[in-house]
Amino acid sequence: MRPSHDEILDRWLAAEADGREDDAETALFALFETLPPLAPPAGFANRVIVRAALAPIPAPVPARRNLVAVPWLRALVALSLLIVGLALPWLSGLLRSLAGVTGSLWSLADMVRLGMEGLVAVSQGLGAALALWDWLLEIGRTLQAPFATPAAALVMVVCLLVSVAAFHFLRDLISRDRSWIHVEPI
Amino acid sequence: MKTEAELVAEALRGAEEAFREIVVRFERPVYSLIARMIQDPAAAEDLAQEVFLKAFRRLETYDPARKFSSWLFKIAHNTTIDHLRRHAPETIPLEGGKDREEDRGGLAAVLADESTENPSSAAERRDMARSLERAIARLRPEYREAVVLFYIEGASYQEICEATDLPLGTVKTNLHRARKELAEEMARLGWGPAETRSAPGS
Repeated sequence: MRPSHDEILDRWLAAEADGREDDAETALFALFETLPPLAPPAGFANRVIVRAALAPIPAPVPARRNLVAVPWLRALVALSLLIVGLALPWLSGLLRSLAGVTGSLWSLADMVRLGMEGLVAVSQGLGAALALWDWLLEIGRTLQAPFATPAAALVMVVCLLVSVAAFHFLRDLISRDRSWIHVEPI
Repeated sequence: MKTEAELVAEALRGAEEAFREIVVRFERPVYSLIARMIQDPAAAEDLAQEVFLKAFRRLETYDPARKFSSWLFKIAHNTTIDHLRRHAPETIPLEGGKDREEDRGGLAAVLADESTENPSSAAERRDMARSLERAIARLRPEYREAVVLFYIEGASYQEICEATDLPLGTVKTNLHRARKELAEEMARLGWGPAETRSAPGS
Protein backbone atom coordinates (compact mmCIF):
# COMPACT_ATOMS: atom_id res chain seq x y z
CA MET A 1 0.00 0.00 0.00
CA ARG A 2 1.21 3.46 -0.86
CA PRO A 3 2.15 5.51 2.22
CA SER A 4 -0.04 8.53 2.93
CA HIS A 5 1.21 12.09 2.71
CA ASP A 6 1.15 12.17 6.49
CA GLU A 7 3.57 9.24 6.79
CA ILE A 8 5.85 10.68 4.14
CA LEU A 9 5.90 14.04 5.89
CA ASP A 10 6.83 12.36 9.18
CA ARG A 11 9.54 10.38 7.42
CA TRP A 12 10.99 13.51 5.85
CA LEU A 13 11.00 15.57 9.04
CA ALA A 14 12.47 12.68 11.03
CA ALA A 15 15.21 12.21 8.43
CA GLU A 16 15.99 15.94 8.51
CA ALA A 17 16.14 15.87 12.30
CA ASP A 18 18.49 12.87 12.28
CA GLY A 19 20.65 14.35 9.53
CA ARG A 20 19.97 11.48 7.10
CA GLU A 21 20.43 13.52 3.95
CA ASP A 22 19.58 10.85 1.36
CA ASP A 23 16.47 9.70 3.22
CA ALA A 24 15.32 13.29 3.65
CA GLU A 25 15.74 14.00 -0.05
CA THR A 26 13.91 10.84 -1.08
CA ALA A 27 11.06 11.57 1.33
CA LEU A 28 10.72 15.15 0.12
CA PHE A 29 10.51 13.92 -3.49
CA ALA A 30 7.79 11.49 -2.41
CA LEU A 31 5.96 14.19 -0.46
CA PHE A 32 5.75 16.50 -3.47
CA GLU A 33 4.51 13.57 -5.54
CA THR A 34 1.48 13.19 -3.26
CA LEU A 35 0.41 16.75 -3.94
CA PRO A 36 -1.87 17.37 -6.92
CA PRO A 37 -0.06 19.09 -9.78
CA LEU A 38 -0.45 22.80 -10.25
CA ALA A 39 -1.78 23.43 -13.75
CA PRO A 40 -2.97 26.55 -15.57
CA PRO A 41 -6.70 27.02 -16.13
CA ALA A 42 -8.26 25.05 -18.99
CA GLY A 43 -7.84 26.53 -22.45
CA PHE A 44 -4.40 27.92 -21.71
CA ALA A 45 -2.89 26.69 -24.98
CA ASN A 46 -5.72 28.26 -26.99
CA ARG A 47 -5.20 31.59 -25.30
CA VAL A 48 -1.47 31.46 -26.04
CA ILE A 49 -2.17 30.67 -29.70
CA VAL A 50 -4.61 33.57 -29.94
CA ARG A 51 -2.08 35.94 -28.38
CA ALA A 52 0.67 34.64 -30.65
CA ALA A 53 -1.53 35.30 -33.69
CA LEU A 54 -2.53 38.77 -32.51
CA ALA A 55 0.86 39.95 -31.36
CA PRO A 56 3.03 41.14 -34.21
CA ILE A 57 6.40 39.49 -34.32
CA PRO A 58 8.94 42.28 -33.93
CA ALA A 59 11.76 42.41 -36.44
CA PRO A 60 14.99 41.31 -34.79
CA VAL A 61 16.92 44.31 -33.60
CA PRO A 62 20.60 44.07 -34.49
CA ALA A 63 22.64 43.98 -31.35
CA ARG A 64 24.34 47.31 -30.78
CA ARG A 65 28.08 46.90 -30.59
CA ASN A 66 29.43 48.06 -27.30
CA LEU A 67 32.65 49.84 -28.21
CA VAL A 68 33.63 50.27 -24.57
CA ALA A 69 33.77 46.47 -24.30
CA VAL A 70 36.52 46.19 -26.97
CA PRO A 71 39.76 45.67 -25.00
CA TRP A 72 42.16 47.30 -27.47
CA LEU A 73 39.91 50.35 -27.75
CA ARG A 74 39.84 50.67 -23.98
CA ALA A 75 43.63 50.42 -23.90
CA LEU A 76 43.88 53.07 -26.63
CA VAL A 77 41.58 55.44 -24.74
CA ALA A 78 43.56 54.87 -21.52
CA LEU A 79 46.85 55.54 -23.35
CA SER A 80 45.44 58.69 -24.94
CA LEU A 81 44.27 59.95 -21.58
CA LEU A 82 47.70 59.22 -20.10
CA ILE A 83 49.48 61.11 -22.88
CA VAL A 84 47.08 64.05 -22.60
CA GLY A 85 47.59 64.06 -18.84
CA LEU A 86 51.36 64.11 -19.20
CA ALA A 87 51.26 66.78 -21.87
CA LEU A 88 48.87 68.97 -19.89
CA PRO A 89 51.59 71.38 -18.62
CA TRP A 90 52.60 72.15 -22.19
CA LEU A 91 49.05 72.10 -23.51
CA SER A 92 48.00 74.66 -20.91
CA GLY A 93 50.39 77.18 -22.49
CA LEU A 94 48.86 76.45 -25.84
CA LEU A 95 45.34 76.83 -24.46
CA ARG A 96 46.29 80.13 -22.83
CA SER A 97 47.61 81.48 -26.09
CA LEU A 98 44.46 80.22 -27.83
CA ALA A 99 42.35 82.13 -25.32
CA GLY A 100 44.45 85.21 -25.89
CA VAL A 101 44.09 84.94 -29.64
CA THR A 102 40.31 84.66 -29.54
CA GLY A 103 40.20 88.08 -27.93
CA SER A 104 41.90 89.75 -30.86
CA LEU A 105 41.49 89.68 -34.60
CA TRP A 106 43.03 86.80 -36.45
CA SER A 107 45.95 87.58 -38.72
CA LEU A 108 48.22 85.35 -40.76
CA ALA A 109 51.08 86.02 -38.34
CA ASP A 110 48.91 85.00 -35.39
CA MET A 111 47.90 81.80 -37.11
CA VAL A 112 51.51 80.93 -37.97
CA ARG A 113 52.60 81.72 -34.42
CA LEU A 114 49.76 79.61 -33.04
CA GLY A 115 50.64 76.74 -35.35
CA MET A 116 54.27 76.90 -34.30
CA GLU A 117 53.37 76.98 -30.63
CA GLY A 118 51.09 74.03 -31.18
CA LEU A 119 53.86 72.07 -32.86
CA VAL A 120 56.27 72.94 -30.09
CA ALA A 121 53.73 71.84 -27.46
CA VAL A 122 53.05 68.54 -29.22
CA SER A 123 56.76 67.80 -29.65
CA GLN A 124 57.36 68.67 -26.00
CA GLY A 125 54.57 66.29 -25.03
CA LEU A 126 56.06 63.52 -27.14
CA GLY A 127 59.44 64.22 -25.59
CA ALA A 128 57.91 63.90 -22.13
CA ALA A 129 56.21 60.64 -23.09
CA LEU A 130 59.53 59.27 -24.39
CA ALA A 131 61.25 60.36 -21.20
CA LEU A 132 58.59 58.56 -19.19
CA TRP A 133 59.06 55.47 -21.32
CA ASP A 134 62.84 55.62 -20.71
CA TRP A 135 62.17 55.98 -17.01
CA LEU A 136 59.89 52.94 -16.98
CA LEU A 137 62.47 50.94 -18.94
CA GLU A 138 65.12 51.92 -16.44
CA ILE A 139 62.92 50.71 -13.56
CA GLY A 140 62.35 47.45 -15.44
CA ARG A 141 66.09 46.94 -15.96
CA THR A 142 66.80 47.71 -12.33
CA LEU A 143 64.19 45.19 -11.13
CA GLN A 144 65.22 42.57 -13.66
CA ALA A 145 68.50 41.69 -11.99
CA PRO A 146 67.16 40.69 -8.52
CA PHE A 147 64.14 38.92 -9.96
CA ALA A 148 66.29 36.82 -12.26
CA THR A 149 67.43 34.68 -9.31
CA PRO A 150 65.52 31.37 -8.79
CA ALA A 151 64.41 32.32 -5.29
CA ALA A 152 62.87 35.59 -6.43
CA ALA A 153 61.26 33.87 -9.41
CA LEU A 154 59.77 31.30 -7.05
CA VAL A 155 58.42 34.03 -4.80
CA MET A 156 56.86 35.71 -7.81
CA VAL A 157 55.23 32.49 -8.97
CA VAL A 158 53.87 31.85 -5.47
CA CYS A 159 52.51 35.40 -5.29
CA LEU A 160 50.89 34.94 -8.68
CA LEU A 161 49.29 31.65 -7.64
CA VAL A 162 48.04 33.14 -4.37
CA SER A 163 46.50 36.10 -6.19
CA VAL A 164 44.86 33.80 -8.76
CA ALA A 165 43.44 31.63 -5.97
CA ALA A 166 42.20 34.72 -4.10
CA PHE A 167 40.57 36.05 -7.25
CA HIS A 168 38.91 32.71 -7.91
CA PHE A 169 37.65 32.53 -4.32
CA LEU A 170 36.30 36.06 -4.49
CA ARG A 171 34.54 35.37 -7.77
CA ASP A 172 33.01 32.21 -6.36
CA LEU A 173 31.86 34.08 -3.28
CA ILE A 174 30.23 36.80 -5.35
CA SER A 175 28.52 34.37 -7.71
CA ARG A 176 27.25 32.32 -4.79
CA ASP A 177 25.66 35.34 -3.17
CA ARG A 178 24.27 36.73 -6.37
CA SER A 179 20.68 35.68 -6.30
CA TRP A 180 18.49 37.23 -8.87
CA ILE A 181 20.03 37.68 -12.24
CA HIS A 182 19.06 37.47 -15.84
CA VAL A 183 20.56 34.39 -17.43
CA GLU A 184 20.97 35.79 -20.90
CA PRO A 185 18.91 38.16 -23.01
CA ILE A 186 16.22 35.76 -24.18
CA MET B 1 5.12 11.01 -30.09
CA LYS B 2 7.23 13.66 -31.75
CA THR B 3 10.46 14.76 -30.14
CA GLU B 4 11.02 18.30 -28.93
CA ALA B 5 13.44 18.99 -31.80
CA GLU B 6 10.90 17.79 -34.36
CA LEU B 7 8.18 19.95 -32.86
CA VAL B 8 10.47 22.99 -32.86
CA ALA B 9 11.46 22.37 -36.48
CA GLU B 10 7.81 22.13 -37.50
CA ALA B 11 6.87 25.22 -35.49
CA LEU B 12 9.68 27.11 -37.21
CA ARG B 13 8.16 26.12 -40.54
CA GLY B 14 4.96 27.78 -39.35
CA ALA B 15 2.98 24.74 -38.18
CA GLU B 16 0.54 26.04 -35.60
CA GLU B 17 -0.25 22.54 -34.40
CA ALA B 18 3.39 21.95 -33.53
CA PHE B 19 3.50 25.14 -31.48
CA ARG B 20 0.24 24.19 -29.78
CA GLU B 21 1.74 20.79 -28.92
CA ILE B 22 4.78 22.50 -27.41
CA VAL B 23 2.52 24.69 -25.27
CA VAL B 24 0.37 21.74 -24.16
CA ARG B 25 3.44 19.70 -23.30
CA PHE B 26 5.13 22.39 -21.20
CA GLU B 27 2.29 24.57 -19.90
CA ARG B 28 2.09 22.76 -16.56
CA PRO B 29 5.78 22.96 -15.51
CA VAL B 30 6.14 26.55 -16.70
CA TYR B 31 2.95 27.66 -14.96
CA SER B 32 3.85 25.72 -11.82
CA LEU B 33 7.26 27.37 -11.61
CA ILE B 34 5.96 30.88 -12.17
CA ALA B 35 2.93 30.50 -9.90
CA ARG B 36 5.09 29.30 -7.05
CA MET B 37 7.65 32.02 -7.64
CA ILE B 38 5.24 34.94 -7.69
CA GLN B 39 2.46 33.46 -5.51
CA ASP B 40 -0.30 34.90 -7.65
CA PRO B 41 -2.16 32.40 -9.88
CA ALA B 42 -3.85 35.05 -12.05
CA ALA B 43 -0.64 36.91 -12.82
CA ALA B 44 1.11 33.56 -13.24
CA GLU B 45 -1.11 32.64 -16.17
CA ASP B 46 -0.36 35.92 -17.88
CA LEU B 47 3.38 35.50 -17.33
CA ALA B 48 3.28 31.87 -18.49
CA GLN B 49 1.61 33.02 -21.71
CA GLU B 50 4.33 35.63 -22.08
CA VAL B 51 6.98 32.92 -21.69
CA PHE B 52 5.50 30.91 -24.56
CA LEU B 53 5.18 34.02 -26.73
CA LYS B 54 8.84 34.87 -26.13
CA ALA B 55 9.77 31.28 -26.92
CA PHE B 56 7.71 31.44 -30.10
CA ARG B 57 9.43 34.64 -31.24
CA ARG B 58 12.91 33.37 -30.42
CA LEU B 59 12.42 29.78 -31.48
CA GLU B 60 15.22 29.99 -34.03
CA THR B 61 17.71 30.67 -31.23
CA TYR B 62 16.93 27.34 -29.53
CA ASP B 63 19.78 24.86 -29.76
CA PRO B 64 18.31 21.36 -30.35
CA ALA B 65 21.38 19.84 -28.69
CA ARG B 66 20.02 21.08 -25.35
CA LYS B 67 16.82 20.12 -23.59
CA PHE B 68 13.89 22.25 -24.63
CA SER B 69 12.60 22.40 -21.05
CA SER B 70 15.90 23.96 -19.89
CA TRP B 71 15.60 26.65 -22.54
CA LEU B 72 11.99 27.30 -21.59
CA PHE B 73 12.80 27.40 -17.87
CA LYS B 74 15.48 29.95 -18.66
CA ILE B 75 12.91 32.19 -20.35
CA ALA B 76 10.53 31.62 -17.42
CA HIS B 77 13.36 32.52 -15.01
CA ASN B 78 14.03 35.80 -16.83
CA THR B 79 10.35 36.66 -17.17
CA THR B 80 9.78 36.00 -13.47
CA ILE B 81 12.72 38.18 -12.51
CA ASP B 82 11.32 41.02 -14.61
CA HIS B 83 7.97 40.64 -12.89
CA LEU B 84 9.48 40.53 -9.40
CA ARG B 85 11.58 43.60 -10.17
CA ARG B 86 8.57 45.53 -11.43
CA HIS B 87 6.51 44.63 -8.38
CA ALA B 88 7.48 44.95 -4.76
CA PRO B 89 8.77 41.64 -3.43
CA GLU B 90 5.87 39.81 -1.92
CA THR B 91 5.86 39.13 1.77
CA ILE B 92 3.78 36.41 3.30
CA PRO B 93 2.18 37.82 6.43
CA LEU B 94 2.75 35.77 9.53
CA GLU B 95 -0.81 36.42 10.66
CA GLY B 96 -3.81 36.36 8.39
CA GLY B 97 -1.96 34.69 5.55
CA LYS B 98 -4.50 31.92 5.33
CA ASP B 99 -7.40 34.27 4.71
CA ARG B 100 -5.48 36.30 2.23
CA GLU B 101 -4.50 33.25 0.27
CA GLU B 102 -8.03 31.89 0.15
CA ASP B 103 -9.53 35.25 -0.74
CA ARG B 104 -7.58 35.42 -3.92
CA GLY B 105 -7.93 31.76 -4.79
CA GLY B 106 -4.36 31.03 -3.75
CA LEU B 107 -2.13 28.07 -4.53
CA ALA B 108 -3.25 25.97 -1.61
CA ALA B 109 -6.84 26.21 -2.80
CA VAL B 110 -5.73 25.16 -6.27
CA LEU B 111 -3.71 22.29 -4.87
CA ALA B 112 -6.36 20.87 -2.58
CA ASP B 113 -7.90 18.09 -4.61
CA GLU B 114 -10.64 16.52 -2.55
CA SER B 115 -12.26 14.49 -5.28
CA THR B 116 -10.61 11.18 -4.39
CA GLU B 117 -10.41 11.32 -0.60
CA ASN B 118 -12.65 11.21 2.41
CA PRO B 119 -13.40 14.62 3.93
CA SER B 120 -11.07 14.31 6.93
CA SER B 121 -8.11 13.09 4.90
CA ALA B 122 -8.77 15.73 2.27
CA ALA B 123 -8.90 18.44 4.91
CA GLU B 124 -5.58 17.34 6.36
CA ARG B 125 -4.06 17.08 2.94
CA ARG B 126 -5.32 20.59 2.15
CA ASP B 127 -3.77 21.86 5.37
CA MET B 128 -0.48 20.22 4.53
CA ALA B 129 -0.53 21.55 0.96
CA ARG B 130 -1.21 25.02 2.30
CA SER B 131 1.59 24.76 4.84
CA LEU B 132 4.02 23.40 2.28
CA GLU B 133 3.19 26.14 -0.20
CA ARG B 134 3.54 28.74 2.54
CA ALA B 135 6.88 27.30 3.53
CA ILE B 136 8.04 27.40 -0.10
CA ALA B 137 6.80 30.97 -0.43
CA ARG B 138 8.93 32.02 2.54
CA LEU B 139 12.12 30.74 0.98
CA ARG B 140 14.52 33.13 -0.73
CA PRO B 141 13.65 33.37 -4.46
CA GLU B 142 16.71 31.39 -5.58
CA TYR B 143 15.99 28.64 -3.03
CA ARG B 144 12.33 28.62 -4.05
CA GLU B 145 13.21 28.29 -7.70
CA ALA B 146 15.65 25.46 -7.03
CA VAL B 147 13.08 23.56 -4.94
CA VAL B 148 10.35 23.89 -7.55
CA LEU B 149 12.61 22.89 -10.41
CA PHE B 150 14.31 19.99 -8.63
CA TYR B 151 11.68 18.43 -6.38
CA ILE B 152 8.49 19.34 -8.20
CA GLU B 153 9.46 19.54 -11.87
CA GLY B 154 12.14 16.88 -11.68
CA ALA B 155 14.83 19.00 -13.34
CA SER B 156 18.40 17.74 -13.03
CA TYR B 157 21.19 19.75 -11.37
CA GLN B 158 22.55 20.53 -14.82
CA GLU B 159 19.21 21.82 -16.05
CA ILE B 160 18.89 24.07 -13.01
CA CYS B 161 22.43 25.37 -13.63
CA GLU B 162 21.48 26.18 -17.22
CA ALA B 163 18.18 27.80 -16.28
CA THR B 164 19.59 29.96 -13.50
CA ASP B 165 23.19 30.41 -14.66
CA LEU B 166 24.49 29.33 -11.27
CA PRO B 167 27.45 27.00 -10.73
CA LEU B 168 26.71 23.39 -9.81
CA GLY B 169 28.05 23.83 -6.27
CA THR B 170 25.77 26.80 -5.66
CA VAL B 171 22.73 24.92 -6.94
CA LYS B 172 23.48 21.98 -4.63
CA THR B 173 24.06 24.31 -1.69
CA ASN B 174 20.84 26.19 -2.40
CA LEU B 175 18.88 22.94 -2.54
CA HIS B 176 20.40 21.67 0.69
CA ARG B 177 19.73 24.91 2.56
CA ALA B 178 16.25 25.19 1.06
CA ARG B 179 15.36 21.69 2.26
CA LYS B 180 16.55 22.52 5.77
CA GLU B 181 14.59 25.78 5.82
CA LEU B 182 11.48 24.03 4.50
CA ALA B 183 11.68 21.47 7.30
CA GLU B 184 12.16 24.21 9.90
CA GLU B 185 9.24 26.17 8.52
CA MET B 186 6.99 23.10 8.44
CA ALA B 187 7.91 22.35 12.04
CA ARG B 188 7.20 25.96 12.95
CA LEU B 189 3.77 25.63 11.33
CA GLY B 190 3.03 22.67 13.57
CA TRP B 191 3.98 19.79 11.31
CA GLY B 192 6.24 17.64 13.43
CA PRO B 193 6.17 13.90 14.04
CA ALA B 194 2.54 12.72 14.45
CA GLU B 195 2.72 12.29 18.25
CA THR B 196 4.01 15.82 18.82
CA ARG B 197 1.79 17.53 16.24
CA SER B 198 -0.56 20.24 17.40
CA ALA B 199 -2.98 22.22 15.30
CA PRO B 200 -1.09 21.90 11.98
CA GLY B 201 -1.18 24.86 9.72
CA SER B 202 -2.17 27.20 12.53
